[in-house]
Amino acid sequence: MIADGVIDLGWVFDHLGDMWEASVEHAVLTGIAVSCGLVLSVLLSLIALRWRRTYTPITWVTGILYTIPSLALFTFLVPVFGLSLLTAEIALVSYTLLILIRNIVSGIDGVPDDVLEASSGMGMTARQQLLRVQVPLALPAIIAGIRIAAVTTIGLVTVTVLIGQGGYGVFILRGIRRQFLTEALVGTLLSVALAVVVDLLLVGVGRLAMPWARRAGT
Amino acid sequence: MPNVPAIEFRQVEKIYPGSSAAAVTDLSLEVAEGETVALIGPSGCGKTTLLKMVNRLIEPTAGMIRVFGNDVRSSNPVELRRGIGYVIQQVGLLPHRTVAQNIGTVPELLGWDDRRVWARVDELFDLIQLDPELRDRYPSDLSGGQRQRVGVARALAADPPIMLMDEPFGAVDPIVRKALQQQFLEVQKRLGKTTVLVTHDIDEAITLADRVAILNLGGILEQFDPPMAILRDPANAFVMSFLGHDRGLKRLSLLPISSVKLVKGPAVSRSASIEEAREMMERWGVDWIALADGDVLHGWVPGEELDGASDLASLALRRFESWLTSDASLLDALDVVVSSRTSAAAVFDGDRYLGMLSAETIGREIVT
Ligand SMILES: Nc1ncnc2c1ncn2[C@@H]1O[C@H](COP(=O)(O)OP(=O)(O)OP(=O)(O)O)[C@@H](O)[C@H]1O
Ligand SMILES: [Mg+2]
Repeated sequence: MIADGVIDLGWVFDHLGDMWEASVEHAVLTGIAVSCGLVLSVLLSLIALRWRRTYTPITWVTGILYTIPSLALFTFLVPVFGLSLLTAEIALVSYTLLILIRNIVSGIDGVPDDVLEASSGMGMTARQQLLRVQVPLALPAIIAGIRIAAVTTIGLVTVTVLIGQGGYGVFILRGIRRQFLTEALVGTLLSVALAVVVDLLLVGVGRLAMPWARRAGT
Repeated sequence: MPNVPAIEFRQVEKIYPGSSAAAVTDLSLEVAEGETVALIGPSGCGKTTLLKMVNRLIEPTAGMIRVFGNDVRSSNPVELRRGIGYVIQQVGLLPHRTVAQNIGTVPELLGWDDRRVWARVDELFDLIQLDPELRDRYPSDLSGGQRQRVGVARALAADPPIMLMDEPFGAVDPIVRKALQQQFLEVQKRLGKTTVLVTHDIDEAITLADRVAILNLGGILEQFDPPMAILRDPANAFVMSFLGHDRGLKRLSLLPISSVKLVKGPAVSRSASIEEAREMMERWGVDWIALADGDVLHGWVPGEELDGASDLASLALRRFESWLTSDASLLDALDVVVSSRTSAAAVFDGDRYLGMLSAETIGREIVT
Protein backbone atom coordinates (compact mmCIF):
# COMPACT_ATOMS: atom_id res chain seq x y z
CA MET A 1 0.00 0.00 0.00
CA ILE A 2 0.94 3.60 -0.67
CA ALA A 3 0.18 4.49 2.91
CA ASP A 4 3.16 2.51 4.11
CA GLY A 5 5.62 4.68 2.27
CA VAL A 6 3.73 7.97 2.05
CA ILE A 7 1.66 8.39 5.20
CA ASP A 8 3.33 8.42 8.52
CA LEU A 9 0.61 6.92 10.69
CA GLY A 10 2.63 7.46 13.80
CA TRP A 11 2.58 11.22 13.20
CA VAL A 12 -1.14 11.08 12.61
CA PHE A 13 -1.83 9.39 15.95
CA ASP A 14 0.52 11.75 17.77
CA HIS A 15 -1.36 14.78 16.46
CA LEU A 16 -5.01 13.83 16.98
CA GLY A 17 -5.35 16.61 19.56
CA ASP A 18 -3.96 19.21 17.13
CA MET A 19 -6.32 18.00 14.47
CA TRP A 20 -9.32 18.46 16.75
CA GLU A 21 -8.14 21.95 17.65
CA ALA A 22 -7.63 22.82 13.97
CA SER A 23 -11.08 21.46 13.17
CA VAL A 24 -12.68 23.74 15.74
CA GLU A 25 -10.74 26.74 14.44
CA HIS A 26 -11.63 25.90 10.87
CA ALA A 27 -15.31 25.48 11.70
CA VAL A 28 -15.40 28.73 13.67
CA LEU A 29 -13.74 30.70 10.86
CA THR A 30 -16.23 29.21 8.42
CA GLY A 31 -19.20 29.74 10.72
CA ILE A 32 -18.41 33.40 11.28
CA ALA A 33 -17.92 33.99 7.56
CA VAL A 34 -21.12 32.26 6.48
CA SER A 35 -23.27 33.82 9.22
CA CYS A 36 -21.98 37.32 8.57
CA GLY A 37 -22.28 36.69 4.84
CA LEU A 38 -25.87 35.57 5.31
CA VAL A 39 -26.85 38.60 7.39
CA LEU A 40 -25.26 40.96 4.89
CA SER A 41 -26.81 39.09 1.96
CA VAL A 42 -30.26 39.21 3.50
CA LEU A 43 -29.94 42.96 3.93
CA LEU A 44 -28.66 43.47 0.40
CA SER A 45 -31.34 41.14 -0.97
CA LEU A 46 -34.07 43.09 0.81
CA ILE A 47 -32.72 46.25 -0.78
CA ALA A 48 -32.59 44.56 -4.18
CA LEU A 49 -36.15 43.25 -3.80
CA ARG A 50 -37.51 46.54 -2.58
CA TRP A 51 -35.72 48.68 -5.15
CA ARG A 52 -35.34 46.52 -8.21
CA ARG A 53 -32.86 48.85 -9.89
CA THR A 54 -30.27 48.17 -7.23
CA TYR A 55 -30.14 44.45 -8.06
CA THR A 56 -27.88 44.78 -11.09
CA PRO A 57 -25.26 46.97 -9.35
CA ILE A 58 -25.36 44.72 -6.28
CA THR A 59 -24.65 41.57 -8.30
CA TRP A 60 -22.06 43.47 -10.25
CA VAL A 61 -20.06 44.52 -7.21
CA THR A 62 -20.38 41.18 -5.41
CA GLY A 63 -19.52 39.48 -8.69
CA ILE A 64 -16.24 41.40 -8.89
CA LEU A 65 -15.46 40.55 -5.27
CA TYR A 66 -16.11 36.92 -6.08
CA THR A 67 -13.59 36.90 -8.92
CA ILE A 68 -10.69 38.58 -7.09
CA PRO A 69 -8.13 35.89 -6.24
CA SER A 70 -7.95 35.40 -2.48
CA LEU A 71 -4.22 36.05 -2.31
CA ALA A 72 -4.66 39.36 -4.04
CA LEU A 73 -7.49 40.31 -1.71
CA PHE A 74 -5.33 39.61 1.33
CA THR A 75 -2.61 41.76 -0.16
CA PHE A 76 -5.02 44.69 -0.37
CA LEU A 77 -6.50 44.15 3.08
CA VAL A 78 -3.44 43.42 5.19
CA PRO A 79 -1.96 46.94 5.01
CA VAL A 80 -5.24 48.28 6.37
CA PHE A 81 -6.38 45.65 8.87
CA GLY A 82 -3.15 43.78 9.55
CA LEU A 83 -2.66 40.06 9.87
CA SER A 84 -5.91 39.71 11.74
CA LEU A 85 -9.09 37.70 12.03
CA LEU A 86 -10.88 40.75 10.64
CA THR A 87 -8.84 40.64 7.44
CA ALA A 88 -9.55 36.95 7.02
CA GLU A 89 -13.28 37.34 7.63
CA ILE A 90 -13.67 40.33 5.34
CA ALA A 91 -12.20 38.29 2.55
CA LEU A 92 -14.20 35.16 3.37
CA VAL A 93 -17.49 37.05 3.74
CA SER A 94 -17.01 38.84 0.45
CA TYR A 95 -16.80 35.51 -1.35
CA THR A 96 -20.18 34.33 0.03
CA LEU A 97 -22.20 37.38 -0.99
CA LEU A 98 -22.76 36.72 -4.68
CA ILE A 99 -23.93 33.15 -4.18
CA LEU A 100 -26.19 33.96 -1.26
CA ILE A 101 -27.78 37.07 -2.74
CA ARG A 102 -28.46 35.37 -6.06
CA ASN A 103 -30.12 32.43 -4.35
CA ILE A 104 -32.17 34.54 -1.96
CA VAL A 105 -33.45 36.85 -4.68
CA SER A 106 -34.18 34.13 -7.21
CA GLY A 107 -35.82 32.02 -4.50
CA ILE A 108 -38.15 34.83 -3.56
CA ASP A 109 -38.79 35.70 -7.20
CA GLY A 110 -39.69 32.08 -7.79
CA VAL A 111 -42.67 32.13 -5.43
CA PRO A 112 -45.67 31.45 -7.68
CA ASP A 113 -47.92 34.41 -8.51
CA ASP A 114 -51.10 32.59 -7.51
CA VAL A 115 -49.74 32.03 -4.01
CA LEU A 116 -48.84 35.69 -3.70
CA GLU A 117 -52.19 36.79 -5.01
CA ALA A 118 -54.04 34.49 -2.65
CA SER A 119 -52.03 35.65 0.33
CA SER A 120 -52.54 39.33 -0.34
CA GLY A 121 -56.18 38.63 -1.19
CA MET A 122 -56.60 37.11 2.27
CA GLY A 123 -55.31 40.29 3.83
CA MET A 124 -51.64 39.67 4.58
CA THR A 125 -49.54 42.80 4.89
CA ALA A 126 -46.42 42.99 2.72
CA ARG A 127 -44.35 42.07 5.77
CA GLN A 128 -46.51 39.08 6.67
CA GLN A 129 -46.36 37.98 3.09
CA LEU A 130 -42.57 38.14 3.11
CA LEU A 131 -42.13 36.31 6.41
CA ARG A 132 -44.95 33.79 6.18
CA VAL A 133 -44.98 33.02 2.50
CA GLN A 134 -42.03 34.26 0.47
CA VAL A 135 -39.18 33.37 2.81
CA PRO A 136 -40.46 29.87 3.63
CA LEU A 137 -41.07 29.14 -0.02
CA ALA A 138 -37.63 30.50 -0.95
CA LEU A 139 -35.96 28.28 1.66
CA PRO A 140 -34.97 25.51 -0.76
CA ALA A 141 -33.05 28.04 -2.87
CA ILE A 142 -31.66 29.83 0.18
CA ILE A 143 -30.43 26.61 1.75
CA ALA A 144 -28.91 25.55 -1.55
CA GLY A 145 -27.03 28.87 -1.54
CA ILE A 146 -25.85 28.39 2.04
CA ARG A 147 -24.56 24.93 1.16
CA ILE A 148 -22.47 26.23 -1.72
CA ALA A 149 -21.25 29.19 0.34
CA ALA A 150 -20.29 26.96 3.28
CA VAL A 151 -18.43 24.42 1.16
CA THR A 152 -16.59 27.14 -0.76
CA THR A 153 -15.67 28.92 2.44
CA ILE A 154 -14.29 25.75 4.04
CA GLY A 155 -11.91 25.45 1.11
CA LEU A 156 -10.92 29.11 1.30
CA VAL A 157 -10.27 29.07 5.03
CA THR A 158 -7.18 26.91 4.40
CA VAL A 159 -5.61 29.94 2.71
CA THR A 160 -6.10 32.21 5.72
CA VAL A 161 -3.11 30.57 7.35
CA LEU A 162 -1.11 33.01 5.23
CA ILE A 163 -2.42 35.87 7.35
CA GLY A 164 -1.86 34.10 10.59
CA GLN A 165 -5.13 32.26 11.12
CA GLY A 166 -5.55 28.69 12.32
CA GLY A 167 -7.45 25.77 10.85
CA TYR A 168 -6.33 23.03 8.49
CA GLY A 169 -4.24 25.48 6.50
CA VAL A 170 -1.64 25.25 9.25
CA PHE A 171 -1.03 21.56 8.46
CA ILE A 172 -1.01 22.12 4.75
CA LEU A 173 1.38 25.06 4.84
CA ARG A 174 3.73 23.40 7.31
CA GLY A 175 3.64 20.12 5.39
CA ILE A 176 4.63 21.93 2.22
CA ARG A 177 7.38 23.96 3.87
CA ARG A 178 8.89 20.88 5.49
CA GLN A 179 8.18 18.71 2.47
CA PHE A 180 6.32 16.42 4.85
CA LEU A 181 3.57 14.91 2.75
CA THR A 182 1.64 13.30 5.59
CA GLU A 183 0.91 16.61 7.24
CA ALA A 184 -0.15 18.35 4.01
CA LEU A 185 -2.35 15.43 3.07
CA VAL A 186 -4.02 15.29 6.47
CA GLY A 187 -4.86 19.00 6.24
CA THR A 188 -6.35 18.55 2.79
CA LEU A 189 -8.37 15.45 3.64
CA LEU A 190 -9.74 16.99 6.82
CA SER A 191 -10.85 20.06 4.88
CA VAL A 192 -12.67 17.89 2.35
CA ALA A 193 -14.24 15.82 5.14
CA LEU A 194 -15.46 18.92 6.97
CA ALA A 195 -17.03 20.20 3.76
CA VAL A 196 -18.88 16.94 3.26
CA VAL A 197 -20.09 16.82 6.86
CA VAL A 198 -21.30 20.43 6.83
CA ASP A 199 -23.05 19.91 3.51
CA LEU A 200 -24.88 16.86 4.81
CA LEU A 201 -25.84 18.70 8.00
CA LEU A 202 -27.33 21.51 5.95
CA VAL A 203 -29.28 19.03 3.86
CA GLY A 204 -30.67 17.63 7.13
CA VAL A 205 -31.57 21.07 8.43
CA GLY A 206 -33.33 21.74 5.14
CA ARG A 207 -35.39 18.58 5.45
CA LEU A 208 -36.46 19.50 8.96
CA ALA A 209 -37.30 23.05 8.02
CA MET A 210 -39.25 22.09 4.90
CA PRO A 211 -41.40 19.06 5.57
CA TRP A 212 -43.63 20.02 2.66
CA ALA A 213 -40.77 19.66 0.19
CA ARG A 214 -39.55 16.31 1.51
CA ARG A 215 -41.00 14.24 -1.26
CA ALA A 216 -39.69 16.64 -3.88
CA GLY A 217 -36.23 15.35 -2.99
CA THR A 218 -34.13 18.35 -2.03
CA MET B 1 -80.44 50.58 6.37
CA PRO B 2 -81.91 47.40 5.01
CA ASN B 3 -81.77 48.38 1.38
CA VAL B 4 -78.09 49.15 1.03
CA PRO B 5 -76.65 46.72 -1.52
CA ALA B 6 -73.86 44.48 -0.25
CA ILE B 7 -71.74 45.43 -3.23
CA GLU B 8 -72.28 48.30 -5.61
CA PHE B 9 -70.31 49.13 -8.74
CA ARG B 10 -71.05 52.59 -9.92
CA GLN B 11 -69.87 53.65 -13.40
CA VAL B 12 -66.68 51.72 -12.90
CA GLU B 13 -63.97 51.86 -15.50
CA LYS B 14 -60.60 50.16 -15.60
CA ILE B 15 -57.85 50.83 -18.08
CA TYR B 16 -54.63 49.01 -17.23
CA PRO B 17 -51.51 51.17 -17.45
CA GLY B 18 -49.92 50.89 -20.86
CA SER B 19 -53.06 49.47 -22.39
CA SER B 20 -55.19 51.40 -24.84
CA ALA B 21 -58.35 49.33 -24.47
CA ALA B 22 -60.50 49.39 -21.37
CA ALA B 23 -60.78 46.15 -19.38
CA VAL B 24 -64.00 47.38 -17.77
CA THR B 25 -66.20 50.05 -19.33
CA ASP B 26 -68.71 52.22 -17.47
CA LEU B 27 -70.12 49.36 -15.48
CA SER B 28 -72.85 49.74 -12.88
CA LEU B 29 -74.22 46.81 -10.97
CA GLU B 30 -75.58 46.07 -7.52
CA VAL B 31 -75.44 42.86 -5.56
CA ALA B 32 -78.05 42.56 -2.83
CA GLU B 33 -77.23 41.11 0.55
CA GLY B 34 -77.45 37.33 0.50
CA GLU B 35 -77.59 37.19 -3.26
CA THR B 36 -75.43 35.04 -5.53
CA VAL B 37 -74.42 36.83 -8.70
CA ALA B 38 -72.55 35.08 -11.49
CA LEU B 39 -70.22 37.05 -13.76
CA ILE B 40 -69.90 35.38 -17.09
CA GLY B 41 -68.41 36.25 -20.44
CA PRO B 42 -65.65 35.36 -22.87
CA SER B 43 -62.04 35.11 -21.71
CA GLY B 44 -60.54 38.53 -21.13
CA CYS B 45 -63.85 40.33 -20.68
CA GLY B 46 -62.79 41.67 -17.29
CA LYS B 47 -64.40 39.24 -14.85
CA THR B 48 -61.32 38.81 -12.69
CA THR B 49 -60.63 42.52 -12.90
CA LEU B 50 -64.11 43.30 -11.57
CA LEU B 51 -63.73 40.89 -8.70
CA LYS B 52 -60.34 42.20 -7.68
CA MET B 53 -61.60 45.76 -7.60
CA VAL B 54 -63.98 44.80 -4.79
CA ASN B 55 -61.15 43.83 -2.44
CA ARG B 56 -58.78 46.43 -3.84
CA LEU B 57 -56.26 44.08 -5.36
CA ILE B 58 -56.89 46.35 -8.35
CA GLU B 59 -57.95 49.99 -8.22
CA PRO B 60 -60.49 51.29 -10.75
CA THR B 61 -59.49 54.07 -13.13
CA ALA B 62 -62.84 55.78 -12.64
CA GLY B 63 -66.09 55.22 -10.79
CA MET B 64 -66.82 53.96 -7.33
CA ILE B 65 -67.22 50.65 -5.58
CA ARG B 66 -69.09 50.39 -2.32
CA VAL B 67 -69.31 47.51 0.08
CA PHE B 68 -72.29 47.74 2.42
CA GLY B 69 -72.52 51.39 1.48
CA ASN B 70 -68.89 52.30 2.20
CA ASP B 71 -66.60 53.43 -0.57
CA VAL B 72 -63.83 50.81 -0.61
CA ARG B 73 -61.24 53.56 -1.06
CA SER B 74 -62.00 54.72 2.46
CA SER B 75 -61.11 51.38 4.00
CA ASN B 76 -57.71 49.94 4.70
CA PRO B 77 -57.09 47.32 2.00
CA VAL B 78 -55.74 44.77 4.49
CA GLU B 79 -58.76 45.09 6.80
CA LEU B 80 -61.12 45.06 3.83
CA ARG B 81 -59.62 41.85 2.45
CA ARG B 82 -59.78 40.04 5.77
CA GLY B 83 -63.51 40.70 5.78
CA ILE B 84 -64.11 39.34 2.27
CA GLY B 85 -63.69 35.69 1.34
CA TYR B 86 -61.64 35.38 -1.84
CA VAL B 87 -61.20 32.26 -3.92
CA ILE B 88 -58.68 32.93 -6.66
CA GLN B 89 -58.81 31.48 -10.14
CA GLN B 90 -55.75 29.24 -9.64
CA VAL B 91 -56.71 28.22 -6.07
CA GLY B 92 -53.36 29.44 -4.70
CA LEU B 93 -53.06 27.25 -1.62
CA LEU B 94 -49.88 27.86 0.38
CA PRO B 95 -47.68 24.87 -0.54
CA HIS B 96 -45.71 24.96 2.72
CA ARG B 97 -48.74 24.90 4.99
CA THR B 98 -50.91 21.91 5.79
CA VAL B 99 -54.51 21.79 4.69
CA ALA B 100 -55.66 22.76 8.18
CA GLN B 101 -53.16 25.62 8.36
CA ASN B 102 -54.25 26.84 4.95
CA ILE B 103 -57.87 26.91 6.03
CA GLY B 104 -56.94 28.69 9.26
CA THR B 105 -54.95 31.44 7.53
CA VAL B 106 -57.36 34.35 7.86
CA PRO B 107 -58.51 33.54 11.43
CA GLU B 108 -54.83 33.41 12.34
CA LEU B 109 -54.20 36.77 10.69
CA LEU B 110 -57.14 38.12 12.66
CA GLY B 111 -55.40 37.01 15.82
CA TRP B 112 -57.83 34.30 16.96
CA ASP B 113 -56.34 32.03 19.59
CA ASP B 114 -55.21 28.58 18.45
CA ARG B 115 -58.07 26.70 20.01
CA ARG B 116 -60.66 28.83 18.25
CA VAL B 117 -58.82 28.52 14.93
CA TRP B 118 -58.72 24.72 15.15
CA ALA B 119 -62.34 24.49 16.20
CA ARG B 120 -63.27 26.59 13.20
CA VAL B 121 -61.13 24.44 10.90
CA ASP B 122 -62.99 21.36 12.19
CA GLU B 123 -66.29 23.03 11.45
CA LEU B 124 -65.22 23.78 7.90
CA PHE B 125 -63.98 20.23 7.32
CA ASP B 126 -67.45 19.20 8.29
CA LEU B 127 -69.20 21.84 6.22
CA ILE B 128 -67.42 21.02 2.99
CA GLN B 129 -67.21 17.32 3.79
CA LEU B 130 -63.45 17.02 3.58
CA ASP B 131 -61.87 13.85 4.85
CA PRO B 132 -60.42 14.73 8.29
CA GLU B 133 -57.38 12.62 7.39
CA LEU B 134 -56.34 15.40 5.04
CA ARG B 135 -55.86 17.87 7.88
CA ASP B 136 -52.12 17.45 8.12
CA ARG B 137 -51.38 16.81 4.47
CA TYR B 138 -49.81 19.37 2.19
CA PRO B 139 -51.65 20.79 -0.82
CA SER B 140 -49.44 18.83 -3.22
CA ASP B 141 -51.02 15.63 -1.85
CA LEU B 142 -54.54 16.66 -2.80
CA SER B 143 -56.60 15.98 -5.90
CA GLY B 144 -57.81 18.91 -7.98
CA GLY B 145 -61.31 18.71 -6.51
CA GLN B 146 -60.01 18.57 -2.96
CA ARG B 147 -57.81 21.60 -3.57
CA GLN B 148 -60.72 23.60 -4.85
CA ARG B 149 -62.77 22.69 -1.81
CA VAL B 150 -59.94 23.67 0.50
CA GLY B 151 -59.74 26.96 -1.39
CA VAL B 152 -63.42 27.59 -0.73
CA ALA B 153 -63.15 26.51 2.92
CA ARG B 154 -60.21 28.84 3.40
CA ALA B 155 -62.23 31.74 2.01
CA LEU B 156 -65.12 30.91 4.35
CA ALA B 157 -62.91 30.52 7.42
CA ALA B 158 -63.45 33.87 9.10
CA ASP B 159 -67.15 33.79 8.22
CA PRO B 160 -67.01 36.84 5.95
CA PRO B 161 -70.35 38.28 4.83
CA ILE B 162 -69.11 38.50 1.24
CA MET B 163 -67.49 35.85 -0.93
CA LEU B 164 -65.67 36.54 -4.18
CA MET B 165 -65.09 33.35 -6.13
CA ASP B 166 -63.07 33.34 -9.34
CA GLU B 167 -63.94 30.16 -11.24
CA PRO B 168 -64.00 28.16 -8.02
CA PHE B 169 -64.84 24.95 -9.83
CA GLY B 170 -62.78 25.61 -12.93
CA ALA B 171 -59.96 23.10 -12.99
CA VAL B 172 -61.82 19.86 -12.36
CA ASP B 173 -63.54 17.25 -14.48
CA PRO B 174 -67.29 17.57 -15.17
CA ILE B 175 -68.38 14.99 -12.59
CA VAL B 176 -66.43 16.54 -9.73
CA ARG B 177 -67.60 19.89 -10.93
CA LYS B 178 -71.24 18.86 -10.68
CA ALA B 179 -70.66 17.56 -7.17
CA LEU B 180 -68.94 20.79 -6.13
CA GLN B 181 -71.77 22.85 -7.58
CA GLN B 182 -74.32 20.79 -5.70
CA GLN B 183 -72.35 21.28 -2.54
CA PHE B 184 -72.13 25.00 -3.18
CA LEU B 185 -75.91 25.20 -3.37
CA GLU B 186 -76.33 23.28 -0.12
CA VAL B 187 -73.75 25.34 1.73
CA GLN B 188 -75.20 28.52 0.30
CA LYS B 189 -78.67 27.54 1.48
CA ARG B 190 -77.27 27.28 5.00
CA LEU B 191 -75.00 30.31 5.02
CA GLY B 192 -76.65 32.75 2.63
CA LYS B 193 -73.44 34.64 1.87
CA THR B 194 -73.45 37.48 -0.59
CA THR B 195 -71.48 35.85 -3.38
CA VAL B 196 -69.98 37.04 -6.62
CA LEU B 197 -68.95 34.06 -8.65
CA VAL B 198 -66.99 34.15 -11.89
CA THR B 199 -67.51 31.39 -14.39
CA HIS B 200 -67.35 30.87 -18.09
CA ASP B 201 -69.82 28.04 -17.98
CA ILE B 202 -73.34 29.31 -18.65
CA ASP B 203 -74.90 26.19 -17.16
CA GLU B 204 -72.99 26.77 -13.95
CA ALA B 205 -74.17 30.37 -13.87
CA ILE B 206 -77.77 29.31 -14.42
CA THR B 207 -77.62 26.62 -11.76
CA LEU B 208 -75.86 28.57 -9.05
CA ALA B 209 -76.81 32.21 -9.37
CA ASP B 210 -79.81 34.29 -8.40
CA ARG B 211 -78.79 36.77 -11.06
CA VAL B 212 -76.37 36.50 -13.94
CA ALA B 213 -74.28 39.37 -15.33
CA ILE B 214 -73.26 38.72 -18.92
CA LEU B 215 -70.18 40.67 -19.93
CA ASN B 216 -68.71 41.38 -23.31
CA LEU B 217 -65.08 42.12 -24.19
CA GLY B 218 -64.04 45.46 -22.79
CA GLY B 219 -66.01 44.75 -19.65
CA ILE B 220 -69.32 45.87 -21.10
CA LEU B 221 -72.35 44.67 -19.18
CA GLU B 222 -74.77 43.24 -21.75
CA GLN B 223 -77.46 41.93 -19.44
CA PHE B 224 -77.98 41.53 -15.71
CA ASP B 225 -81.04 39.51 -14.80
CA PRO B 226 -82.21 36.32 -13.12
CA PRO B 227 -81.34 33.22 -15.18
CA MET B 228 -84.97 32.66 -16.13
CA ALA B 229 -85.36 36.18 -17.49
CA ILE B 230 -82.12 35.95 -19.44
CA LEU B 231 -83.19 32.69 -21.04
CA ARG B 232 -86.65 34.01 -21.81
CA ASP B 233 -85.66 37.47 -23.02
CA PRO B 234 -82.04 37.68 -24.10
CA ALA B 235 -81.23 41.39 -24.32
CA ASN B 236 -79.41 41.20 -27.64
CA ALA B 237 -77.68 39.06 -30.22
CA PHE B 238 -74.53 38.74 -28.10
CA VAL B 239 -76.44 37.34 -25.13
CA MET B 240 -78.41 35.09 -27.46
CA SER B 241 -75.28 33.64 -29.02
CA PHE B 242 -73.71 33.29 -25.61
CA LEU B 243 -76.63 31.25 -24.35
CA GLY B 244 -76.31 28.84 -27.25
CA HIS B 245 -79.02 27.18 -29.28
CA ASP B 246 -80.27 24.98 -26.45
CA ARG B 247 -81.58 28.00 -24.61
CA GLY B 248 -85.05 26.42 -24.49
CA LEU B 249 -83.73 23.27 -22.86
CA LYS B 250 -81.69 25.28 -20.39
CA ARG B 251 -84.89 27.01 -19.41
CA LEU B 252 -86.49 23.67 -18.74
CA SER B 253 -83.73 22.84 -16.29
CA LEU B 254 -84.82 25.80 -14.18
CA LEU B 255 -88.55 25.00 -14.17
CA PRO B 256 -89.79 22.50 -11.59
CA ILE B 257 -92.60 20.16 -12.56
CA SER B 258 -94.76 21.92 -10.02
CA SER B 259 -94.69 25.02 -12.24
CA VAL B 260 -96.80 23.40 -14.97
CA LYS B 261 -100.37 22.07 -14.92
CA LEU B 262 -100.50 18.34 -14.81
CA VAL B 263 -103.17 16.47 -16.73
CA LYS B 264 -105.45 13.80 -15.42
CA GLY B 265 -104.25 11.78 -18.38
CA PRO B 266 -105.76 8.71 -19.94
CA ALA B 267 -106.91 7.44 -16.56
CA VAL B 268 -110.11 6.00 -15.20
CA SER B 269 -111.24 4.72 -11.85
CA ARG B 270 -110.62 1.07 -11.08
CA SER B 271 -114.37 0.63 -10.79
CA ALA B 272 -115.01 2.04 -14.32
CA SER B 273 -116.30 -0.21 -17.06
CA ILE B 274 -114.28 -1.55 -20.01
CA GLU B 275 -116.33 0.72 -22.27
CA GLU B 276 -115.39 3.82 -20.30
CA ALA B 277 -111.73 2.82 -20.50
CA ARG B 278 -111.85 2.40 -24.29
CA GLU B 279 -113.55 5.76 -24.63
CA MET B 280 -110.82 7.42 -22.56
CA MET B 281 -108.08 5.81 -24.66
CA GLU B 282 -109.71 7.03 -27.79
CA ARG B 283 -110.10 10.55 -26.43
CA TRP B 284 -106.36 10.68 -25.65
CA GLY B 285 -105.33 8.79 -28.74
CA VAL B 286 -103.19 6.29 -26.81
CA ASP B 287 -103.07 2.51 -26.62
CA TRP B 288 -102.87 2.25 -22.85
CA ILE B 289 -104.98 3.25 -19.88
CA ALA B 290 -104.05 4.18 -16.33
CA LEU B 291 -106.19 3.25 -13.35
CA ALA B 292 -106.31 5.90 -10.64
CA ASP B 293 -108.57 6.89 -7.79
CA GLY B 294 -107.99 10.26 -6.20
CA ASP B 295 -104.31 10.50 -5.27
CA VAL B 296 -103.67 6.77 -5.61
CA LEU B 297 -102.30 5.45 -8.89
CA HIS B 298 -102.96 1.73 -9.24
CA GLY B 299 -101.01 1.13 -12.46
CA TRP B 300 -101.64 0.83 -16.14
CA VAL B 301 -102.64 -1.76 -18.74
CA PRO B 302 -101.96 -1.96 -22.49
CA GLY B 303 -105.06 -1.42 -24.65
CA GLU B 304 -105.02 -4.89 -26.24
CA GLU B 305 -105.52 -6.56 -22.89
CA LEU B 306 -108.93 -4.95 -22.61
CA ASP B 307 -110.15 -7.25 -25.39
CA GLY B 308 -112.22 -10.04 -23.90
CA ALA B 309 -111.80 -8.83 -20.33
CA SER B 310 -114.92 -8.65 -18.23
CA ASP B 311 -113.95 -5.80 -15.94
CA LEU B 312 -110.90 -3.67 -15.16
CA ALA B 313 -110.43 -5.04 -11.69
CA SER B 314 -109.62 -8.51 -13.09
CA LEU B 315 -106.66 -7.25 -15.18
CA ALA B 316 -103.03 -7.55 -14.11
CA LEU B 317 -101.77 -3.99 -13.64
CA ARG B 318 -98.33 -2.83 -14.65
CA ARG B 319 -96.38 -0.45 -12.49
CA PHE B 320 -95.46 2.92 -13.93
CA GLU B 321 -91.76 2.72 -14.71
CA SER B 322 -91.79 6.37 -15.75
CA TRP B 323 -92.49 8.43 -12.72
CA LEU B 324 -91.16 11.67 -11.28
CA THR B 325 -91.40 13.67 -8.13
CA SER B 326 -92.86 17.15 -8.35
CA ASP B 327 -89.59 18.88 -7.44
CA ALA B 328 -87.71 17.46 -10.45
CA SER B 329 -87.01 19.89 -13.28
CA LEU B 330 -88.85 19.79 -16.56
CA LEU B 331 -85.56 18.85 -18.21
CA ASP B 332 -85.35 15.71 -16.05
CA ALA B 333 -89.01 15.10 -16.88
CA LEU B 334 -88.40 15.45 -20.60
CA ASP B 335 -85.72 12.80 -20.40
CA VAL B 336 -88.07 10.39 -18.62
CA VAL B 337 -91.02 11.13 -20.84
CA VAL B 338 -89.32 10.74 -24.21
CA SER B 339 -87.80 7.43 -23.19
CA SER B 340 -91.05 6.02 -21.78
CA ARG B 341 -93.38 3.72 -23.61
CA THR B 342 -96.39 5.76 -22.49
CA SER B 343 -95.05 9.20 -23.59
CA ALA B 344 -96.19 10.43 -20.22
CA ALA B 345 -94.82 10.17 -16.75
CA ALA B 346 -96.73 9.85 -13.50
CA VAL B 347 -95.86 12.61 -11.04
CA PHE B 348 -95.84 12.02 -7.31
CA ASP B 349 -95.41 14.14 -4.27
CA GLY B 350 -94.07 11.55 -1.90
CA ASP B 351 -96.68 8.76 -2.15
CA ARG B 352 -99.37 11.04 -3.43
CA TYR B 353 -100.18 10.76 -7.13
CA LEU B 354 -100.58 14.23 -8.61
CA GLY B 355 -101.23 13.60 -12.28
CA MET B 356 -99.58 12.92 -15.60
CA LEU B 357 -96.92 14.96 -17.32
CA SER B 358 -97.05 14.56 -21.06
CA ALA B 359 -94.52 15.40 -23.76
CA GLU B 360 -96.94 18.02 -25.11
CA THR B 361 -97.05 19.86 -21.81
CA ILE B 362 -93.25 20.05 -21.70
CA GLY B 363 -93.14 21.03 -25.37
CA ARG B 364 -95.35 24.04 -24.68
CA GLU B 365 -92.80 25.28 -22.13
CA ILE B 366 -89.97 25.10 -24.65
CA VAL B 367 -91.83 27.25 -27.17
CA THR B 368 -93.00 30.00 -24.83
N1 LIG C 1 -52.23 43.27 -14.82
C1 LIG C 1 -52.69 43.54 -16.04
N2 LIG C 1 -52.06 44.41 -16.85
C2 LIG C 1 -52.51 44.69 -18.08
N3 LIG C 1 -53.61 44.15 -18.62
C3 LIG C 1 -54.30 43.27 -17.87
C4 LIG C 1 -53.88 42.93 -16.56
N4 LIG C 1 -54.76 42.02 -16.06
C5 LIG C 1 -55.68 41.84 -17.02
N5 LIG C 1 -55.41 42.58 -18.10
C6 LIG C 1 -56.23 42.65 -19.33
O1 LIG C 1 -57.52 43.08 -18.98
C7 LIG C 1 -58.51 42.33 -19.67
C8 LIG C 1 -59.43 41.66 -18.68
O2 LIG C 1 -58.70 40.69 -17.96
P1 LIG C 1 -59.36 39.76 -16.86
O3 LIG C 1 -58.28 38.96 -16.29
O4 LIG C 1 -60.17 40.59 -15.94
O5 LIG C 1 -60.29 38.85 -17.76
P2 LIG C 1 -61.19 37.60 -17.37
O6 LIG C 1 -62.55 37.90 -17.81
O7 LIG C 1 -60.99 37.26 -15.95
O8 LIG C 1 -60.57 36.46 -18.30
P3 LIG C 1 -60.44 34.89 -18.04
O9 LIG C 1 -61.79 34.32 -18.31
O10 LIG C 1 -59.44 34.47 -19.09
O11 LIG C 1 -59.95 34.70 -16.66
C9 LIG C 1 -57.76 41.36 -20.57
O12 LIG C 1 -57.68 41.93 -21.84
C10 LIG C 1 -56.39 41.28 -19.96
O13 LIG C 1 -55.41 41.02 -20.92
MG1 LIG D 1 -60.15 35.62 -14.96
